[in-house]
Amino acid sequence: MTASSSRRTILDRVRAATSADANTYADIPRNYTHRGALDTAARLHLMTERLLEYGAEVIEASPADLPATVAHQLQSSGRRTFVACPALPPELLPPDVNLKLDNDLSFDEIELCDGVLTGSFAGIAESGTIVLHHSPSEGRRILTLLPDFHLCILRASQIVETLPEYFARCPELPRLATYISGPSATADIEMTRIKGVHGPRFLSVIIVRDDL
Amino acid sequence: MTTPAHHPPVMDPRFAPPFPAAALPILQNTQLRTNVAHATDVIQTKRNSLVAEKRDWQELRNSAAAIRAHVLANLGDYLEQFESNCTAAGGTVHWATDAAEARTIILDLLRQEKASEVIKIKTMTSAEIQLNPALEAAGISAIETDLAELILQLGDDEPSHIVVPALHVNRRQVREIFAERMGLPQLSDDPQALTAAARTYLRRKFLSVPTAISGANFLIAENGSVAIVESEGNGRMCLTLPRTLIALAGIEKLLPRFSDLEVMLQVLARSATGERMNPYTSLWSGVVPGDGPQRFHIVLLDNGRSRILARKVERQTLQCIRCAACLNTCPVYRQTGGHAYGSPYAGPIGAILTPQLERMQHAQSLPYASSLCGACYEVCPVKINIPEVLIELRAQVVNQQRAQSSRWFDPMFIGMKAANVTFASASRFQIAQRLGRIGLRVFTRSDGWIHRLPSLGGRWTLSRDLRALPNQTFRDWWAARPSKGNR
Amino acid sequence: MRASLFITCYNDTLFPETGRAVVRLLERLGITLDFLPAQTCCGQMHANTGFRGEAFSQAKRFVQLYRDTECVVIPSSSCVAMIRDQYQGLFEELGNEELRRQFAALLPRVFELSEFLTDKLGLDDVGAYFPHRVTYHASCHGLRALQVGDRPFRLLRKVSGLELLPLANLERCCGFGGTFSVKNAEVSTAMLDAKLIDVLATGAGYCTALDNSCLMHLGGALHRQKKAIQTIHIAGILASTVEHPYRAGQ
Repeated sequence: MTASSSRRTILDRVRAATSADANTYADIPRNYTHRGALDTAARLHLMTERLLEYGAEVIEASPADLPATVAHQLQSSGRRTFVACPALPPELLPPDVNLKLDNDLSFDEIELCDGVLTGSFAGIAESGTIVLHHSPSEGRRILTLLPDFHLCILRASQIVETLPEYFARCPELPRLATYISGPSATADIEMTRIKGVHGPRFLSVIIVRDDL
Repeated sequence: MTTPAHHPPVMDPRFAPPFPAAALPILQNTQLRTNVAHATDVIQTKRNSLVAEKRDWQELRNSAAAIRAHVLANLGDYLEQFESNCTAAGGTVHWATDAAEARTIILDLLRQEKASEVIKIKTMTSAEIQLNPALEAAGISAIETDLAELILQLGDDEPSHIVVPALHVNRRQVREIFAERMGLPQLSDDPQALTAAARTYLRRKFLSVPTAISGANFLIAENGSVAIVESEGNGRMCLTLPRTLIALAGIEKLLPRFSDLEVMLQVLARSATGERMNPYTSLWSGVVPGDGPQRFHIVLLDNGRSRILARKVERQTLQCIRCAACLNTCPVYRQTGGHAYGSPYAGPIGAILTPQLERMQHAQSLPYASSLCGACYEVCPVKINIPEVLIELRAQVVNQQRAQSSRWFDPMFIGMKAANVTFASASRFQIAQRLGRIGLRVFTRSDGWIHRLPSLGGRWTLSRDLRALPNQTFRDWWAARPSKGNR
Repeated sequence: MRASLFITCYNDTLFPETGRAVVRLLERLGITLDFLPAQTCCGQMHANTGFRGEAFSQAKRFVQLYRDTECVVIPSSSCVAMIRDQYQGLFEELGNEELRRQFAALLPRVFELSEFLTDKLGLDDVGAYFPHRVTYHASCHGLRALQVGDRPFRLLRKVSGLELLPLANLERCCGFGGTFSVKNAEVSTAMLDAKLIDVLATGAGYCTALDNSCLMHLGGALHRQKKAIQTIHIAGILASTVEHPYRAGQ
């Protein structure tokens, strides 16, 4: 079978199988919860609770205190070499920390870094999910994959309660997205939950109170 | 060797023994049955508590089922939309009518890549097309990177569950496998140490092997993207680090829009692992310069799905999102684990999907591997009425049998035909009742019970006695009642 | 009120005492009960084993027989499930519009026994007396297909002298499954063993259910293992009164 004839064969079979069906997208029932009911304080509280539940560290900071908080978190993390997204505001990058900007670093160079600093696109409180769309201020996917420690900046204004709210507020479809809801985990050996198989084993989230 | 892998179970439906025979050795394996019961209990308990917490669970289920049904009813349009968008985003879309073609396409791509090794994210579809043996035959080493799949690969074993494939293997067995195959004689059997050993072993592979093969949880028609849902992070590694990524996906995996994930992700994680959300979900469209593989291929697989699509009752089989909630709740699976099903797909979904993929030529015992209790339907996040499909498939198996002369040697077939004849008239039925009562007397012991029967009846008396047929049937008693003015 | 009893093929032959109990119970409650002798089987065994054509003819008989009855009472939730879940599909497939219509008209008048008592008669207390420790097994068809819910519990709780003991893992199938019990006898037995552990752990003297099919399977193993606990259809319990208490073999 040639490539195009296989394609034709499959599509013909599929069309023949569904020729009698009339079914529009708009008719799909959607009576599930779309918007959350929590106010800002409760929503932030829920996000924090979920993050803590899965072992992440949570720090709150005002926008003014953010640079100092970032510096403190990196310095007290027990790590020495960091990588950061190229588009983070320069004032957030502490001067006296060994921090490389990801301007096309090689795998080996990233592999040598113990920690990474990024922003984020959104937080979903119901599940404690951090959403990265991998814009330049969130970093290439490899950045949040190889280093063992991830310091993530999440603004309060980016946090929604429900998953449908996140989808509702995406201005355009992302080319890339990673949804983080816990450190990697396996229960493959006797159903014993072990954390940190691949990917960062340690996550700290700075929630910036840009709502106040 | 203490691992059960010494004689790996047959997971090819063309050669696997029928379910009742395949189940026999497993029923004697207390270790495995305990593990299966424990694993499924853990997941079910978590799942149940999260479902109870989710006030809009039934609404989500309704939407999830409707979305999947809608996709299937419009599959041609969505496939073309996906192809167009994926291609525009830099991906290459391939179409495979069957397993052989899919293997050929993948092998050709690997040859173009001059790949001697390939890292794999778990995909049941690759087991369905029997990819790994084909890779081996072509001299390509396929490295499974999911911890469970790694354990099974190194231990020469087969998965027994969709989501927790190595649940039949205990820590001591894992230790032995890793110690031998990773060269770590001092390794302890602590799950933490075992996992750390796997992390180190696999990291070397992630950073050096330039070609990866994955499956796909969802294909998004709207923008040609692919979503992979996982817990361990090996998916992210394989999707991000290599130069070339080849994804294999059944044609039914589509969703219309990116935002439809708002429904599917909520029901999938709760159903599969009993979590509000799994640790990592990755989404990508085609090729993104500077981030991830610069060559992306997706192989869309038919392999019998278009045939299932055409069948009114059976089409719902394709709504499946591979969460394995049906396995976790199935009382049959609880006793046998996955190996008895002789197929990459086990449990209730396996019982309906496997025979259909085999065009009902194989795995004909699987639709009967169920007591029709309906627990699977109750938990299915996309509301597949599995019992309804099981009954439909049983009818097809019997219809095949009707065309075979051997049917007259099958006690079940003869019994069913005879029963139908007797049920056609009340007087015939009464005669049959009397004959039955008389005939069974010879097997009745002094305690008024039958302890052993021949032939098919012997299958009942394997573990159960049968009370002797009472001397008077209900209808005879009614007929003999003094009239109370009733008919 | 009039009602017609569909005894079911297996109750008729193997458990006539359940039929007698239903008669005693319903007549005590003032129902004028009849029994159409032309009845045989609802077709479930054939339909569920894959003998669909054969099941058609049995379904047809059922619908034609009960076309003009006020209502039909059936002491078997699996048979009611067959009628509710599969008859429609059978008649549609047959393309017999007349039958399908007759069935649609009949369907609301078909009741499983506990449904008849609680829904049609509006009763929880049927005046029964059964001074024993009892556990209730939830047959899958009653539980899921019919969604009987708490109906059996409400009825049993009002039985004078009855101590109702909860059964662990109530919703897990006992492993009967019709022909599954012979086609997959070993797996059926493994499921049965697991269920019996829970049944015996209750310490009850009687195990009851809406279906004699499950009870035949449980009771057959209990007898094989020489356990003291007895099985009894819920009709047997509800028919038992102070004046005429239950005695085995009635």
